[in-house]
Formats: sequence, C-alpha cells, structure tokens
Amino acid sequence: MNAQSNFIVRAARWFDPRGRSLSTWGFMINRLTALGLTFYLFLHLITLGQLAQGPDAYDNFLKLTESPLYKIGELAVVAAVFLHGLNGVRIVITSFGIAVPRQREIFISAMVLGLIAIIIFGLRMFTA
Amino acid sequence: MIETGSTPKQGETTILWLIKIVTGPILLIVATIHLIVNHYIGSLGGLQTYSDVVKYYKAWYIPVMEGIFLVTVLAHSLIGLRGVILDLRPTAAMLKFINWAFAALGVGFSAYGLWLIIVIAGR
Repeated sequence: MNAQSNFIVRAARWFDPRGRSLSTWGFMINRLTALGLTFYLFLHLITLGQLAQGPDAYDNFLKLTESPLYKIGELAVVAAVFLHGLNGVRIVITSFGIAVPRQREIFISAMVLGLIAIIIFGLRMFTA
Repeated sequence: MIETGSTPKQGETTILWLIKIVTGPILLIVATIHLIVNHYIGSLGGLQTYSDVVKYYKAWYIPVMEGIFLVTVLAHSLIGLRGVILDLRPTAAMLKFINWAFAALGVGFSAYGLWLIIVIAGR
C-alpha cells in the first residue's frame, strides 16, 4: 500500500461508526465538526467580501440566504458550533485534570445542551 | 470509559496546543454572541441587510469583538487542522509545506478580515 492510500485509510477509520465507544463518538463528533467548520469559516470570510462592494452587492447576495437549502446549511453550521464548542469545553477541563472521572456525564450533558441550542436556533430560522 | 482530555501531539509544540485549548472556550462565547446577533438583532430579526450590518458596527466594541473573534477563530482552526494532519503522519517535507501554507493563510485572512472590519466600521 502506498503512502497516499495509507493516508486515506487512516482518515477513513476515524469516521467508521461500527462498534465504537462513547469516547470515540466524542472524537468523531469533534473531528467532523472541526473539518466542517474550518471549511465554512474560509467560505464565510470570502463571501463577506461582498460587504466591501456596497449595499447592492451585499443585499443581492443575502437573497440567497432565504432559500430552504441555505437555511438547512446554516442550521448545520449552528449545530456544528454548539456540538464542537460544548464537547470542546469537556476536552479543555479534562485536559487540565478537572472532573476526569465525570467525563461521561459531562459529555452527555454537553450534547443535550447542544441539542437544546440547535432546536432553539432551528425554530428561529425556520419560523421567523 | 470516555477518553481523557487533550495533550500536545507529536510534532505539536506546547504553546500551539495551549493556544488551541485556550481559544476554544473564548470562541464558544464569542461565536454564541455572533449567532444570536445574526439571528435575533436587526430590522428583520438578524443582520439581514447591509444597513443592519453597518449600524451594528457603529458601537466601538463590536469591531473590537469581531476582530478578536476573527484572529482567535483563525488560530484555533488552523492549529486544529494542523493537528488533524499530524494524526495522518505526514512526511517531514509535507509538514514543512503545511506549516508555511497555514501561517500564510492565517496572516493573509487575518489581514483581509481586519481590513474588512475597518472598512465596514468606517461607513
């Protein structure tokens, strides 16, 4: 197997959900959301360049955001922010040796809190 | 049992790891404010028009907060992405290229984003 195939196989293994523990689900959520958010960040910064071109360019661009497909994408970004951020807080505190034996409870609480935030933003986005 | 937190990876200095870890909670707070503003404030329930954005940037602390958000999110994401690549065990040459490319991306997009913030705040 060459180096490039090795690279792909190793990356693919991260996202194989079969027989995974809660620990690995936490890892998968963190990694998937991290990659998605990084891609979105650069896309977002580039598209915000429309602001420099004035009101017509920006307001025309914003008309795209009214489509349901865009709103689904936007909700995915919101979901990724909360799941990555809250799971990240668990990683930060345990990295400093705090609450290590309570990691499972912290992870589940973080995901529940994340889901509540996603529902609140989702309702706002699709009903406002 | 769930795995214990994060430690610096092989090829990642303690300072880079610390920046990634410290910027995380800052980002959660600033990103939440950013999302609330974009969906709840403004004439149409969020910053949905050019004039909403310009008006929002009139308060002095908004460009400052958005500037901090920009720099921290770029640092966090690029150091994080470098960590993901480290897990794939890149060759020394590839890692050297990635170090330079990510540094250039970070500096370039920070400069571009800060310029954009200054332009909007000045209108």
